[in-house]
Amino acid sequence: MKKEKPRVLVAMSGGVDSSVAAALLKEQGYDVIGVTMQVWDYTQTDCSLEEGNGTCCSSIDVDDARSVADALEIPFYVINCENEFKQNVIDPFVDSYLKGETPIPCVNCNTYLKFDYLLDKMRELDCDYLATGHYAQVQTSPVSGKKSIVTSSDDWKDQTYFLFTLKSEIIDKLLFPVGTWKKPELREYAEKLSLPVAKKKDSTGICFVGNGDYSDFVARQAPDKVENLKGVLKKFPSGEVLAGHGGTHKFTYGQRKGLGVSWTEPLYVVKIEAETNTVWLGEEKYLYSSEVEVKDLNLLDDIESGEVLRVKIRFQHQGANAVVEKNGSDSLRLKFEQAQRSVTPGQAAVFYRDKQLVGGGWIL
Amino acid sequence: MKLEKTIYLDHNATTPVAPELLADLPKWGVAWGNPSSVHLAGRKPKQLVRQARKSISKVLAVHPLEIIFTSGGSEANNLAIQSVFTEEWWRKKNKKAEFITSNVEHPSVAKVFDFIESFGAKVHRISLNTKGEFDLDQFKNCLNENTVLVSIMYANNETGACLPIDQIVPMAHSFGALVHTDAVQALGKEDIQLKNLNVDYCSFSAHKVYSLKGAGCLYVKTGVPLGSLIMGGAQERSRRAGTENTLAIASFGQAVENIGDLHTRNNHIRKLRDQMEKLISENIEDCFILSQEAQRLSNTSNVVFSGIDGESLLMNLDLVGIYVSTGAACSSGSSEPSPVLMAMGLNREQAQGSLRLSLGWNTTEFEIITFVKELSRIVQRLRQLKQESVS
Repeated sequence: MKKEKPRVLVAMSGGVDSSVAAALLKEQGYDVIGVTMQVWDYTQTDCSLEEGNGTCCSSIDVDDARSVADALEIPFYVINCENEFKQNVIDPFVDSYLKGETPIPCVNCNTYLKFDYLLDKMRELDCDYLATGHYAQVQTSPVSGKKSIVTSSDDWKDQTYFLFTLKSEIIDKLLFPVGTWKKPELREYAEKLSLPVAKKKDSTGICFVGNGDYSDFVARQAPDKVENLKGVLKKFPSGEVLAGHGGTHKFTYGQRKGLGVSWTEPLYVVKIEAETNTVWLGEEKYLYSSEVEVKDLNLLDDIESGEVLRVKIRFQHQGANAVVEKNGSDSLRLKFEQAQRSVTPGQAAVFYRDKQLVGGGWIL
Repeated sequence: MKLEKTIYLDHNATTPVAPELLADLPKWGVAWGNPSSVHLAGRKPKQLVRQARKSISKVLAVHPLEIIFTSGGSEANNLAIQSVFTEEWWRKKNKKAEFITSNVEHPSVAKVFDFIESFGAKVHRISLNTKGEFDLDQFKNCLNENTVLVSIMYANNETGACLPIDQIVPMAHSFGALVHTDAVQALGKEDIQLKNLNVDYCSFSAHKVYSLKGAGCLYVKTGVPLGSLIMGGAQERSRRAGTENTLAIASFGQAVENIGDLHTRNNHIRKLRDQMEKLISENIEDCFILSQEAQRLSNTSNVVFSGIDGESLLMNLDLVGIYVSTGAACSSGSSEPSPVLMAMGLNREQAQGSLRLSLGWNTTEFEIITFVKELSRIVQRLRQLKQESVS
């Protein structure tokens, strides 16, 4: 049997973006299959009957995705990825906090689940493409014919930051149907289609933490280990002990509020020293650094030492120019043209050439 | 890409409602009165329930009052097991009470025993081997004067393997233990002689025999203890409160009558099932059929494909319009391998590569041939993919 139309597997989270993505693909004439990854036992964190169309304990989002698939009349499957998610996302997230870093689990979710596990599913289900609701675009170079990922039309929503670990050879398998959309118009369109999630709130924060506190989540996952994270707050650079603290996992770089210390000038977390559980507090000027080491590099295109790239050091960062100095195949050093505030270990440094995503790595 | 007509090979999950029952639904539906009402509006629905009880008891050759209607098989299983537990553990305060079950039971039995165990009661779980044979020696060794209940299924939902209830019952009774059997998968497939078997409790479900969902029953031998899970009404002689689901019960009664000549039905289905297994073995390499040599239900086949994820196989079949299952339907949606298959000695990979095929009264030879053709195409493609990703 020959396939009449190209088939696409679309990752549906139950949110409005991936729901519209599925709807757009269908309109564009693809043979669309929806899939949701059941990644976390939500009964542990939230179990509310009030929100959405969901039923208790089956995860509201999975149910929302299912009702969208029903409305679009497309095949839909739930794939249980709880083990993969725990192993590749939750555990590293907790470990990272235990090491005094501030991790971004969404990148690992993309690396190991969406663009690895689901890519396998895509092939197994005889699909030609894998689509997600990311705000990103795939563009073909008119010169070389090579495909690359570029930022979305909606600058404010652009999510290419989370995609830097993708392997360049899979780009021609990917579709990002909402990458050319602006969020308000997309939501309007969802309402026009009467999608069941049209009015659903955007998810904020980290999906598995819910509305709770990150440090509470870490404490629940590793109750014994957080006990060993208690230490002292010291004044930077003098080393004067200011107070004790309840665990390094409760602090992030640049944090100002909730430090439990009063000082003549405003103080910020400028460094977390995991070896000694010391949290260094300093004045604002100590937050800035002009150089940063990046490890576990992934490049989607070639870069040259000495090249100036635009670098985002956190998701909401607008990007800053930096000179790239390669030191080995797996790591490099960035020299910013202007010193950057709160360069945070555990976050990613992601590089752009104009709008093109060229790669990234983890900040040391 | 899609077949012109879908093929349903998941009759152990549920069966289509028989067309003649669908035609009778309006007739039953207008009898909307409450069967407990004294006035005339209650007469017709009450009669429907009575008629259904009569039909079912006649086919099972038991007294009508030995049939308790429930919401389905799960409730019937819960009712039997929890009744004996409550009677022994709480009412008689018999803290030595021991229970015996198998490790291939449906979750509505297995989970009840986990629950009972959480109070401190001793629960023995007898195993089946890969061939599907029940370990009677192990069973004998577990039996003792403290055994109060033995609950062993009549036939397994995932492999179709039949368990030796006829041998289990006298052994259990000789120690004074009561016997419950979950015969949900056996109704309409096996000739269940309750009086000859001499079991004390037996569970049935309507939707496995081409009837509506929402009804089932528990056979309870006269004189054995029975409590109630739902209290507050005089229905089912105060053993199961709640206004009767008259529509589902009436259709259940009719469906049981429709079973008719089992011999002819089984011959038809067994022939197709065996043909299907032969075709699979001939056309697909590296696969084996579970419990093939054991005494099995005529309609069930469980095939293990090495190096294949059953979940992907199921989705691929679904996309062409063929409906099958992996493990039990209730556990679908979770990638955990079936605990029943693991208990039967399969390793994780094998259990995850298993497909349950269950035929029905209306399955045709054409469907079987088409199915195996599609199946071998998909298995081949998935194996090729795997090989590519390795190399």
